[in-house]
Amino acid sequence: MVADAGMIAIGAGIAVGLCGIGAAMGEQAIGAAAVGAMAEDEKFFGKGLLMTVIPESIAIFGLVVALILLFVFNV
Amino acid sequence: MGTSNTVKYAYIVARVRAMKGKLIPKDMFPKFINMEIPEITRFIGESEYKKDVDELGKKYKGTDLFEHALNQNLALTYRKLMEVSQDEANYLITEYLRYWDIWNIKTILRGKFSGANEEEILEDVVSAGQLRYRDLTEFARIQTVEGVIAALSKTTYYPAIAGYKGVLAEIENNLDKLYYTGLVAAGINSKDKLFSKFLRTEIDLKNLKILFRMKRAEMEREEILKLLIPGGIELKESDLTRLASLAFPEFVRALEEYSYWEAIRDISNDLNSLTNIETRLDKYGILYATRISYYYPLSILPVLDYIVSKKIEVDNLRMIVRGKETKLSEDTIKAHLVM
Repeated sequence: MVADAGMIAIGAGIAVGLCGIGAAMGEQAIGAAAVGAMAEDEKFFGKGLLMTVIPESIAIFGLVVALILLFVFNV
Repeated sequence: MGTSNTVKYAYIVARVRAMKGKLIPKDMFPKFINMEIPEITRFIGESEYKKDVDELGKKYKGTDLFEHALNQNLALTYRKLMEVSQDEANYLITEYLRYWDIWNIKTILRGKFSGANEEEILEDVVSAGQLRYRDLTEFARIQTVEGVIAALSKTTYYPAIAGYKGVLAEIENNLDKLYYTGLVAAGINSKDKLFSKFLRTEIDLKNLKILFRMKRAEMEREEILKLLIPGGIELKESDLTRLASLAFPEFVRALEEYSYWEAIRDISNDLNSLTNIETRLDKYGILYATRISYYYPLSILPVLDYIVSKKIEVDNLRMIVRGKETKLSEDTIKAHLVM
């Protein structure tokens, strides 16, 4: 039982971790582009910020999967 | 292209896209033709050129102010591109912008050859390459062509100008060849196929302009071949040799085989005006640059597209103001604009 709980916890950790890395990879290019556009025109701040956080949804998917694992299996 | 390259291009591409958005819209140029010079200067003074017009306003007036403001803005804009880019992008931009070193050397040498004074020469230099304005001022102060060549002995351009024997056209041609050879080598060094593709198309367009000019002047085949630049994408050396040996009507017909025919197809019945032909080829070049920059958005192409677009904007503005100053007709000015 303890071993099962451990595996579920590791699974939840992997879900959050990999999704975080994926989101970061997406954000680095978008962030760089947003900073580039903002350097020329401050009006791009709102749009740039919005575009930069869009890949964050991937991290949230990971978090949701982790919460499902933890709560559904009552670890 | 690795992730890091994508990130570097994302930054510079987003920046130049924002800069391109600030260029004067194409539909403004016909309106400028209907304006007077003070009106155009006022419009320019309220645009992206404001800082340059304000800065130079105390020193120059009228069209001189206009000319200097445009040149300074162009130089600063290109310098900014070199400063905000990194690694491969920076290397390719720097190499591409050596065009302005060649331009400046030619301007100074022509100025000295024709006896222009320092001020007149400096009016036409654009310090957007590796040679700084300070260096160019020093060169412009030298009295003779030979003196300028000697002063350039420590630069990479010296091999092209060292053999000066009183004929400027010869060393100007050598400078062009040196520039394009350097660029082709830069494309090979960077392994950037897109840069090479863009560059080789530019070489084709340049060769076509040379061919048209030389054919009009009825130059001999051997003389024409000396001027042509090798390395084009469609016009290989065998094509150039063939085109150079044809008479003007056959030469025009032979161009139908190449994609560049599209650029001049609609004026194919009236190819008397070199201006018309060159304007069409420039327009083809700018449309081509814009089109392929959208095909490959995270590459050097959007930056090159911006560099070309900015130059065309400055050229158009200069053409309008100089045309108005010399009282050219609206139709003549319009024919010289690349829109």
